[in-house]
Amino acid sequence: MRRSHLVSLILVVVFTAASLAGVLSAGWTPVLGVQLQGGVEVVLRPADEVSDEQFERAIEIIRNRVDAIGVAEPDITRQGTQVVIQLPGVKDKQRAVDLIGQTAELRFRPVLQMFDPTDPDQLDVLTPPQEDDVSATVALLGSTGQTGFVLGPAALTGEVIEEAAATFQGQWIVNVSFNDEGAVLFDQMAVANYGRQVAIVLDGVVESAPTINAEEFNGQAVISGSFDEAEAKNLALVLRFGALPVEFERDDVRTVSATLGEGTLRAGIIAGLVGLALVGAYMLLYYRLLGLVAICSLATSGAILWSIVAWLGESRGLALTLAGATGIIVSIGVQVDSNIVYYERIKEEVRRGRAVRSAADGSFRAAFSTIIWADLASLIGAGVLYQLTSGTVRGFALYLGITTLIDLAVSYFFMRPLVILVARRLVGERPSRMGLSNITAEVTS
Amino acid sequence: MNFSLKVLYRGENAWDFIGVSRRVLMGSAIVVLVCVVAIFVRGLNLGIEFEGGGVWEIPALSEVTTDEIRDAASDVGMGNARVQRITGGDAIFRVRGELTPSESTESVISEFAKAAGVDSETISTRSVSPSFGDEVAGKARRALVVFLILIALYLTLRFEWKMALGALIAVAHDIAFTVGIYAIFQFEISPATVVAFLTIMGYSLYDTIVVFDRVKDNERSLSAKSRMTYPDLANVSLNQVIMRSVNTSITSVLPVLSLLIVGSFVLGATSLQGFSIALLIGLIVGSYSSLFVAMPIVSELKNRESHWAEQERSAEVLGTSNAIEDAAAVLAADRYDRSSPPRPRKKGRKR
Repeated sequence: MRRSHLVSLILVVVFTAASLAGVLSAGWTPVLGVQLQGGVEVVLRPADEVSDEQFERAIEIIRNRVDAIGVAEPDITRQGTQVVIQLPGVKDKQRAVDLIGQTAELRFRPVLQMFDPTDPDQLDVLTPPQEDDVSATVALLGSTGQTGFVLGPAALTGEVIEEAAATFQGQWIVNVSFNDEGAVLFDQMAVANYGRQVAIVLDGVVESAPTINAEEFNGQAVISGSFDEAEAKNLALVLRFGALPVEFERDDVRTVSATLGEGTLRAGIIAGLVGLALVGAYMLLYYRLLGLVAICSLATSGAILWSIVAWLGESRGLALTLAGATGIIVSIGVQVDSNIVYYERIKEEVRRGRAVRSAADGSFRAAFSTIIWADLASLIGAGVLYQLTSGTVRGFALYLGITTLIDLAVSYFFMRPLVILVARRLVGERPSRMGLSNITAEVTS
Repeated sequence: MNFSLKVLYRGENAWDFIGVSRRVLMGSAIVVLVCVVAIFVRGLNLGIEFEGGGVWEIPALSEVTTDEIRDAASDVGMGNARVQRITGGDAIFRVRGELTPSESTESVISEFAKAAGVDSETISTRSVSPSFGDEVAGKARRALVVFLILIALYLTLRFEWKMALGALIAVAHDIAFTVGIYAIFQFEISPATVVAFLTIMGYSLYDTIVVFDRVKDNERSLSAKSRMTYPDLANVSLNQVIMRSVNTSITSVLPVLSLLIVGSFVLGATSLQGFSIALLIGLIVGSYSSLFVAMPIVSELKNRESHWAEQERSAEVLGTSNAIEDAAAVLAADRYDRSSPPRPRKKGRKR
């Protein structure tokens, strides 16, 4: 046994144990994706061409909105021309979807007239969404759908709002502060509409229509009314994050109930364990002691993978998705293949009359070269998919790439020395211990 | 069968892969043709990700019937929705339809919840815009083209263009076959299935590379005076790697089979299903094509090279009965000629 082999073996074991212990003691666990624990997943795409800067700002605003509703591990990424928002475990799913999707500009419009939208005569008065222009006079519904408003051109938009917060002062109110430009515009509007209502319009819906009761606000306004807590907070959120510089289309909206997610997770884990057990049993039957080495390699890779997945979840908020999990299950085959390529080489050399220990030593170079070239093809595939796709396919590619790299490292630093150790100490001159016996019928038939 | 397995296990197999390859290739070509025809005639059953629309997955009380759910769908303006009872675990219904503009998502969900006798929180939904599929498909297509170009380059650099061609034909064969099965049985195609198709390509290539690597390795160890023909070289290499191929296929298929049977059928996690069916077919077909499609094509191409054609002619003159066994012996002898003696106990050799 060459000393370097023993050192490499010990280092891998220590490294693996340390990283696993570190992750476990830090309490890090893999963050599960929407399909594995329930939650909301939304894919948005800008309706028109937008600049990079606008796009990034829009994502920033979406992130703020998501933070405001308190999701534990949101994952918001730009993937090419799309924004993928994953909110695993979010409680109020419909509200989350609505909030993310609120993409239109927030507008303040003076109320010219109110009407009853349930009156059949009034139905065709309503402005269709595509004609809801900033400078037009429009007829829109309130958020309950029970009141109709005829509204003048927008006096200002949500971009000028600096801060909005709901507070309780005997009743629920919303404090709004404007930037310098906004302060001027708001005062102009207040003068023009003193004593009348001004509607806060978002997404073509009148969220609120407070009455202006002062002519000078100096950049600070208070909206009061018969709000309950939820309404006030929601209005504050809308005011704060209402204005996205980009209009998005919802390409894909998915809500997964917690029960369905947990069911999938449970099924995946059980199926994975059964699969692993079958693979382990097969390897043991076929390769005997070397099969044991294969199981140890798998266990090592598994421990490293767990640490990486947990670390990615903790530091990057990167969730383990269903596609990622399937990628990992698929990679079991690739992992074990590295063992098989090596073992078959050894067996071949032994059949040619080489001693087991020398065959174990000598075959690795050729076997590992095969493993590298084959793994390289997988890595090219994973890299291309990761760069050029989004969503499901991308999540899969990421974990395929990670597991392939782990496979290369574990093959070289762990499997090789362990095989050599086993070949020298345990197999020795008895090839039957690695599945090379002359009486083999019971194994293969 | 028992006999041949035993031979295989002992590494005494000397099968003439290349000899039967013309007939096998012909058979494969016919199967692929059937699959391609099926794809065009029957078309593919595309999931909502590609066509747009909505899906509701509703866990229900066990006594709820499909008709009740269908009625609920009609009530919210989705009379033509497809309602399926997903068998496997408890009663779960899957409704696929187009949400009418007059109905809000909340009202549809609450209607279904009422019909199923469950809380609306337990219903999972999905709604996809019609343009989303184009986006997904477009990206996948682009990734595919880039991937194929890179792989062709990689294989050409690492091996040679003839092998790259053989590998890509084998990959095309695998994809055509798998997609064909999806067309014939009208399994639904989702992005997860696309992932599976891509995995199959990667896997098939991986498998083919292992075979090619061995052929190249053997070719290098041939001495200059060797009279071995290329088909013999290919045959020896294939016989050497077949056990690895079989074992790798088995160990790759086992987890996927478990995913399909335990995860999807027994435990009813349908989201695992689309993926694992494609993978299962692809893994098996990928191993097959590496041995029976990729290598025979390469052998056919190589045999036209002047050097190998020369070898072929002289072999015909000499005529050998146990060509493959002889070739294996020659190869073994050449290998040891070239390198150190059989038991190198080299001390202090650096890695």
